[in-house]
Parts: sequence; C-alpha cells; structure tokens
Amino acid sequence: MSPPQDEDILLRAGGGKAPLVRLRNISRSYGTGSGATHALREVTLDIDTGAFVKVVGTSGSGKTTLLNIIGGLDTAYEGTAVVAGRELRALGDGALSRFRNKTVGFVFQHFHLLEHLDSMQNVALGAFFSGGEGVDSLRRAEEVLVRVGLRDKLHKFPGQLSGGQKQRVAIARALFNRPALMLADEPTGNLDTRTSGQILSLFELLNREDGLTVVAVTHEDHLFRAATYGVRLEDGRVAEAGPS
Amino acid sequence: MRIRSLARFVRQNLRRNRRNFVFAGVGIVVGISSFVFFIGLGSGIQRVVSTEIFPLEANRIQVVPRLMQFEDAAAGRVIGAAALAEFARIPGVAAVYPRMKLAVPATLAMVGNRIDPAEIERISRMPGVRPEWLVAVRDFNSWMEIMADGVDPRLVAEDAVFGAFRDPEPGRPVPVLLSKRLVELYNSSFAKSRNLPPVNDILIPYLPTLPLTVNDSFVSRAQVHGEKIPLGIRLVGTSHHALLGGITMPLETVRKLNRVLRGEKAADTYESAVLEAESSARLTSVQEAVKALGFALDTSQQRMAESVGFVVTLVTLGFSLISLVMVGLAAVNIAHTFYMIISERRREIGLLRAVGATRRDVRAMILGEAALVGALGGVAGAAVGTAACAAVDWLAVRLLPEFPFKPDHFFGYPWWMLAGGVAVSVLFCVAGAFPPSRRAATLDPASSLSGR
Repeated sequence: MSPPQDEDILLRAGGGKAPLVRLRNISRSYGTGSGATHALREVTLDIDTGAFVKVVGTSGSGKTTLLNIIGGLDTAYEGTAVVAGRELRALGDGALSRFRNKTVGFVFQHFHLLEHLDSMQNVALGAFFSGGEGVDSLRRAEEVLVRVGLRDKLHKFPGQLSGGQKQRVAIARALFNRPALMLADEPTGNLDTRTSGQILSLFELLNREDGLTVVAVTHEDHLFRAATYGVRLEDGRVAEAGPS
Repeated sequence: MRIRSLARFVRQNLRRNRRNFVFAGVGIVVGISSFVFFIGLGSGIQRVVSTEIFPLEANRIQVVPRLMQFEDAAAGRVIGAAALAEFARIPGVAAVYPRMKLAVPATLAMVGNRIDPAEIERISRMPGVRPEWLVAVRDFNSWMEIMADGVDPRLVAEDAVFGAFRDPEPGRPVPVLLSKRLVELYNSSFAKSRNLPPVNDILIPYLPTLPLTVNDSFVSRAQVHGEKIPLGIRLVGTSHHALLGGITMPLETVRKLNRVLRGEKAADTYESAVLEAESSARLTSVQEAVKALGFALDTSQQRMAESVGFVVTLVTLGFSLISLVMVGLAAVNIAHTFYMIISERRREIGLLRAVGATRRDVRAMILGEAALVGALGGVAGAAVGTAACAAVDWLAVRLLPEFPFKPDHFFGYPWWMLAGGVAVSVLFCVAGAFPPSRRAATLDPASSLSGR
C-alpha cells in the first residue's frame, strides 16, 4: 500500500471496471458541539466491481462506520455515497431496505444468527422480506450452505455449530440473495487462527470464482493476504491505500 | 413483507417468549373474563326486564284518547268504531287490537269451603301439590272488588294456552287472563307467606271456576245501577297484555256486559287500542299519523322499561369499566413486556434490518405478536368468563330464594359479548404494544448490531 496519490479518488480498486461503490467526502460524527466524535473525515473512495478490499486500522479508526455507510445501515453522514448506482441517503426506508436485501450481504464478527432457527432458516431470512419465502428459497438456502461447505449442517441450530461453522452460515446468509457486494466486519474476530484461515479462503474463493466484490474490515491485517487492495484508516481519515 | 411471512415470524417469536407472554397474558385473561362476566350478567338482567317485567314489542304501540288540554281542539276524541277504522287505514298498520274497560264494578268471592270438594280432590292428586296448600285453600276466604277489561283475542292468542279465549256460550265460564307480573308477585310473595299454591302452568288447568258478580261493589254502592250479573270465570293463562290489577276477558264478553248494563255508547267506547305496524321501521310514521288523528300514545311501559334498563346498563357499564381498567393495566404490563423483549432482541432487530426488514416490517412484527397475545388472551378470558357465568348462574338459580321475576337464568350469552371480549383484548394489547413497536421500528440498525 502507498499513500494516496489522487486527492479526489484515494482508491480505485477493481482494475478499471465500473465502480460499485463511490464515496465522496464522507464524514460522520456522533454527538454535537465540542463533545462530538468524528468517526470519518472527508473520506473519498471508489471500489470497483470484483475487488477484494480490506479495510484496516486501529480500534476507533472508523472502519465499521465506513462499512455501515456503504451497506446502507447508517445514512447520517455528510458527503455522497453511491452504491450500485444509488445515492443511499436519497433512498427512503423501503428502498434502502430493498437495497440491503438485494444488493448487499453482511457478515459480522458475532455472526448474529437467530438461535431459534436452523441453518436453512437463518440463511433464508432475507427471503421473508423480499417476498420469496417458499420452496425456492429453501432450495437456494441449501445451495449456498453447500457452497460454504455445510452440506451436513443444513438443519443444525446455531447452538449445535462451532464458531467457524456459524460464520459459514452467516456467509451463506449474506450470499443468499446473490448480492453484488459483501461487507464483512471483523469476520474472523471471534475465530481461532486455523478457522480464520478457512473463512478467509472462502472469501477469496467467492471473490475469485464468483466475482463477488468483498469489503472486509479487520484489525488483523496479516490474515487478509488474499485481499487485492487495502485501505488503512487512521483517526477517521484514509492514511494509506492501494494494492496490497 | 407478506402476511404469511409475518404470521410465521409472529408464531416463532411468540413460542420463544411464551413464558413472558403467559405472565403478561394473565392480566388480560382476568380482565376479559370479568368483562364477559359483567356484560353477561347485565345482558341477562336486561333480558328479564325487557321480556318479563316490562316487555316491549318493537312493532306495536298503544293508543289512548288524548287528555283535554287548554285550547286543544283535537282533544277529547274517544276511541270508537270510527276511530278504529281510521287506525286501520293508516299506511303501515297491519292490525288494530282494541281494548275495552268493563264499565261497571265487579266483585269476586273466593271462599274456600264453597269450592267443590271434587275439584279439591282433583287438585290433590297433582304431582307436587303440598297438603298444606289444600288446607290453606279450604280455609281461604277473600271477597274483593276487581277491575276487568276485555281485549281482542287475537292479541293474546299465544297466551291463552289452557282454554279458548273467546266469548263463551251462555252459562259457560268466561275465560280470563291474569297479568304475568301480578302472578309473579303473587307467587313469590303472597302465596308463599299464606301457604297458598302458586299459580303456574302446572296448576292453572286444575284451578276451579270462581264466582264473579258483575255490577257489584263493596266500595261504592252508588256506582251500581240495575241488575247484578253472576258469572263463572276460569283462568286460561297469563299474559303481558292482561290488566295489571284485575282480570282480562274476551273483548266481546265485555262489550255485551257494557251494552246490557250501560247502553250502546259504553259498548262502543274503547279504553285503548294496540296498533301493530307492518315492521318496526314503519312505527315512527304510524305514531305520527296517530297523533295527527288527535290521539295520544301510552308510553308508560316503554318509559318504565327504559328507566330500569338505563339503571341496569349504567351498573353494567360501571362494572365493565372496572374490567376495562383491569385490561388496561394488563395492556401496560404488555407494553413493559414488549419493551423488555425489544431490549433483549435489539441485535436481532438490527440483523433483520440488515437483511432487508423495513421499519414497517419491524413494527408489524411487534404488533402482530401483540395481536396474537391479545387474541389468545381474549379467547381464554372469554372462555373463563363464560365458565364463571355458567357456574354462578347454576349456583344462583339453586341457592337464591324465590323472589319476584327470579329468572331461570341470570346471565345472557350474546355472541357480541364473546366477540367483543376478544376484540377488546386484541385492541388493548395492540395499543399497549404500539409505543414499543415504534421504538423498535426506529432503532438504528448500525448501533443495534454493535450493541451500542
């Protein structure tokens, strides 16, 4: 990675394809007045379709905030965030929810699986909100669970799965609606080194074979060797960016 | 989010939190059961008032001559044959039932030892007849002056169940009807205190013929002119249309007596007439037409029924309000339960928002759960309330002493009471869950997921 060259576009990740994510002067602060915390400051960034981007930085550097803004979970930002051709802040609740349902897949550090649902039901959760609940959705859930290597865990509940298996279910859930963009927030943060390696290999596979755009936030920089591009955030600013 | 998906979510969530909801639902069940209980009791008492004490007929009115008032040109019209014909011509009138007062006083002598011993013997063989009743009947001595009137037999056709209610052949007993209210008062107080047999459907057919003297008075001899006419009278039933403080005979019998004793004018002067409208919807126009003809409406029965009904309604409403307060408190409990559940499910709500749930979906899920809790609580409450009604009814009928108009059932079970109980329950639960549902819907997904 090298310091930003272009003052407008700090990162153009994806080898010249059309940008999937287009951030311009994104700032986000919490609180008001002198007590305000500035999580992001004037971040400008393009992420092309098919890129595998890791976002690194120390705790509190703004990584998760950046991910939340790209994923449409946080629209209280300043600047412009265009993802898959949509200016997120301009979208109403319905359109923004559809965007999260169809365009983005989230993977979290704590998996966030619903304990009362089995793997298939957890994976097919998005179908409840896209009107696609039914036999087709179960078929698709099975397909993605097989894809992430959980053929024999289709009807297991989260309590019956290991940490790595839970994260695979979460990845399958993120893949369920064939998103254009996968956003992973510390996906290996709760896993041991060996399991982390397996999960990262899965991300790499999905990026390489399926062409899925992956943006992963991590503080374990060394684990994300598979990422083709890197962004380092420091104190809410892009400190470093470029091919990793 | 489709209804099917919503229903599935709601079902799953309810199953997960069933312990919380059972505790929260207990208040709903108690509130709704007491609501159903009091409405049932009120409905039962209203039924007794409107069918037994002050029966109202939706499509009938009673017409009376208007009282003379200053500068009232139309006042003073009597109800005679001409007026009856005018009533019959009013559009919407299906039938006219005239009523005539016996124009002379009459006396009734009930002397127990004059009753044919064969009749007493016949009564004694009746099942359920107590020996002390027979002794009391034999010792019974009562001479009373009574009032009498005559009604159109068509009006009381359903009430005269123990004999034909028509002007009898000469020498045969005159069929008479007694007021249901009078009989009820006699049975529950007078008969009991004097050890006399009750007048009921079992005994009426066996009651002896009693001697009535028409044109006789113990009170005012001055009213009596001409011959006394002795008659035998026989009770053939009880009726709400019968005279409250006297006996009611067939109209033709009274007409003949009036003609013989007071002349032709008395035989063509009616005390009142009951007008039957083709439907209750036409009653108002019939009433207007009657007034326009110069007659008045006797609404005393209706006013009494309304007054008593109002008091019953007021008391029922009071108790129902207490029940509703209980349901309201339960709804507050429901609200607290949902606030707690939402706090527990904060991350889950964040996740649902991340996978595509809109604010409306989140709100619908919470309100759906509340509606289901309300429906289940309402059904359980209605069932418990109905069971309590049945139990108290059973006990009351058996344990309470006899009193006038003591009903066979103290409770009513109208369908709307049960449906209303469930609806109120759902309404209150949804209302209780509304503020928490708003909070859940406005949770920021990013901070919910991070647990901030």
